Amino acid sequence: MKTEDITGIRDGSCSSSNDQVPFSSNCVRLSPSEWLIVAIIFSAVFCLSPAFWERAEKFEPEPDYRLPYDLSSDYWLYKRYCRWACSRYETLVVGDSVVWGHFVPMDNTLSHYLNDLAGRARFANLGADGTHPAALEGLLRYYGRDISNKNVILHLNPLWMTSPKHDLQTEKEHHFNHPELVPQFTPQIPCYKASFSTRISAIVKRRVPFFNWASHLNITYFQSMDVPAWTLEHPYENPISSITFRLSTSDNYERPRDTARPGRAVGRTALQWVELETSLQWLFFRRSVELLRKRNNRVFVLVGPFNEHMFDADSIDTYRKMQTEIEAWLQLNNVPYYMPVVLPRHLYVDTSHLLSQGYAVLAKQLFENESFRSSILYSNHNSGNRR
Amino acid sequence: MLFHTWAFVLFFLIVYPIYLALKRTRFSLLWLLAASYFFYACFNPLYLILIAYSTILDYTVVAVMEKRARRKIWLSISIVNNLALLGFFKYAGFITDNLNILLSSLNVPYVVPAPGLLLPVGLSFYIFQSMSYTIDYYRGNIERERSLIRYATFVSLFPRLLAGPIERAGNLLPQLRKTPAVSIQDVSDGLSLFIVGLFKKVALADYLALYVDKVYSTPDQYQSPALLLATFMFCWQIYFDFSGYTDMARGVARMMGFRLMLNFNNPYLATSLGDFWSRWHISLSSWFKDYVYIPLGGNRKGTFNTYRNMFLTMVISGLWHGAAWTFIIWGAVHALGRFLTREAERTSFYKERVPRILKQIFVFAFVTFAWIFFRADSISDAWIIITRIFTSGFADPRCPLLALALIFTVWLYQFAYESRLKWVLELWAVRIGVIILMILYLAVFAPSSRQPFIYLQF
Repeated sequence: MKTEDITGIRDGSCSSSNDQVPFSSNCVRLSPSEWLIVAIIFSAVFCLSPAFWERAEKFEPEPDYRLPYDLSSDYWLYKRYCRWACSRYETLVVGDSVVWGHFVPMDNTLSHYLNDLAGRARFANLGADGTHPAALEGLLRYYGRDISNKNVILHLNPLWMTSPKHDLQTEKEHHFNHPELVPQFTPQIPCYKASFSTRISAIVKRRVPFFNWASHLNITYFQSMDVPAWTLEHPYENPISSITFRLSTSDNYERPRDTARPGRAVGRTALQWVELETSLQWLFFRRSVELLRKRNNRVFVLVGPFNEHMFDADSIDTYRKMQTEIEAWLQLNNVPYYMPVVLPRHLYVDTSHLLSQGYAVLAKQLFENESFRSSILYSNHNSGNRR
Repeated sequence: MLFHTWAFVLFFLIVYPIYLALKRTRFSLLWLLAASYFFYACFNPLYLILIAYSTILDYTVVAVMEKRARRKIWLSISIVNNLALLGFFKYAGFITDNLNILLSSLNVPYVVPAPGLLLPVGLSFYIFQSMSYTIDYYRGNIERERSLIRYATFVSLFPRLLAGPIERAGNLLPQLRKTPAVSIQDVSDGLSLFIVGLFKKVALADYLALYVDKVYSTPDQYQSPALLLATFMFCWQIYFDFSGYTDMARGVARMMGFRLMLNFNNPYLATSLGDFWSRWHISLSSWFKDYVYIPLGGNRKGTFNTYRNMFLTMVISGLWHGAAWTFIIWGAVHALGRFLTREAERTSFYKERVPRILKQIFVFAFVTFAWIFFRADSISDAWIIITRIFTSGFADPRCPLLALALIFTVWLYQFAYESRLKWVLELWAVRIGVIILMILYLAVFAPSSRQPFIYLQF
């Protein structure tokens, strides 16, 4: 409150102001030419930081590497890994946690067994945990631009169409993985209720590498927190000292307990399959296929294997019809594919995830599949890139 | 749509070029008004009814005052209407809560139903601004604004709509009357203000909020050091939050050619409580001085009346901030502080012998103590915090050192700004360096969550 002690507003102006209204209570006032200097310096930092960082930060993945679980949302690293994998592998295996290998160590995944059967490192695991088709499409569109002129095994997990919720179709808001990757405005995702600002922010982030790089720093060195939140957990540590320039290249992922209970996959659950025609996830999956092919990749689609042991007869019938429709679309578009028959019950952990032995069986089935052999194994699509 | 969101950036990128293009045409005010109303409607379209109603009523009242006698009645209508709006939307819940407590203590078996109204964002700010127009006209300080569009733009101008500064008609209306000249210097000045404000809000206030919110949400679980540090940090959080907002508002307005008044002037370097109030939320302080304290008699009618007027003004100011007893007590504590220090501050000993730094520390400590009532969720929480600060033992506060280092850096900067070292801060390399560091920090390390401005709730 201004009382009688107050004789007037102090002049808080800084240097050159002749205005009646004081400029500010500090000296941070730049002239147009000084702003130009700031713009030049900042543009240089903005454009060059990610590139310089890549040189400073060591990234030498081991065989059977997969993006560490804790870094699933580090899209900048995914992009870097894509570039690295494209330069070393002939075929990229792309998909969600089934491809990534949610319940198995990194040397027990589908890509590992495929490499085993091939006798050399031909297949790279480009799975990312939680990437349902809507997110996967965004991941490939914005961060997988380096995937071109390659063989790609694209996995379709029918799980994402087993209910309106999985298909992101509920009107009620529900939180799903990787919201930053899905389309922010069109096509509209009914259960995605983010604010306008959040959506714009997601669009800016995916378009500007600097922000992705900043996000990479937070995810990799500050346990997926921003620095302020991290200092709350580590109040007396120096945040700068956490930046070690060393990326985790091995698998320190602690697998969920379900690994110890392979027989859990029993029961008679009824599924509320969505119509393929109206399914959002199917729409995004098709867009992924088209996107990859547009980038001159040879796409091979792997559908399932889905754990049919868990579901009732009606659900399985619906699934069969859906498989037929999927097959029709793939054939119509000349996309080679494989739909494995249901595997023995004990090879599943849940509806779609396999145990190590399951992946081995699946890899073997793929190797025996004529379509796979002709389109992936014996294709000379990218022979120039072979190691 | 808050200043520190991408939505606002997009909004401004659309509004600004069109505003510049229309600047010399008769459509510029209309565009500004449309943009301001759209900006406000983004919070809730229903708010538009209220702001339009308040605008039209005050505009009409002044128009009637110009033509008829009994101006006092029309002024009363305007004041009563504005206070009724404020009372209904802001204080109805508070009044019914207290009525129910009273009825319950008197064993009256009746519960007054809670109104369940939502407080429209920025209501207190634009109501006060609109009131100042009618009062200033009544006093003969300003001329009547003949254009309703211009007057509506004065009330709703989007840079200052949400949380001030509470501009006087005498300052802003003339700027709206002539076509504001937007120079390249205005744009760079506006950018400077905006970036500093953004840094204060996003990098500092939102960071400090993390610790403050944690401690203040369960004060009984923390010991003296954590409570002390959280209170100290809130002191800076609210400063960074509100002055950051003001800087951004002034920056945006500056880019459009408008000069909004200075609202904060390094308040934590004040050497007396009177000095503090001349540096903190200056637009509100001067509003209360001109429209409450002086009409009550100011310091013209003896010591008792001076203190009474001071007390009333402070308590009303506390109530303006929020409909809760904690805000009233906060105002009363400041009034009490003024009583106790006013005479001492006038002595030559205090003026000449007490070192400046000691005065600053005293004022800062007092203001920080008073903020406990402002921040606490209830009086009982405030009491728990105060008693635990003095009685609980020691426990590791786990307060981020980085946050304390940032506060210290800002304090050092402000201290240098008001000392003989100011020339160092004026060096171009220092200014450019500071801006680059701020932008880099914002882009890389700022908190990912965007907190609303504290003063938005008032």
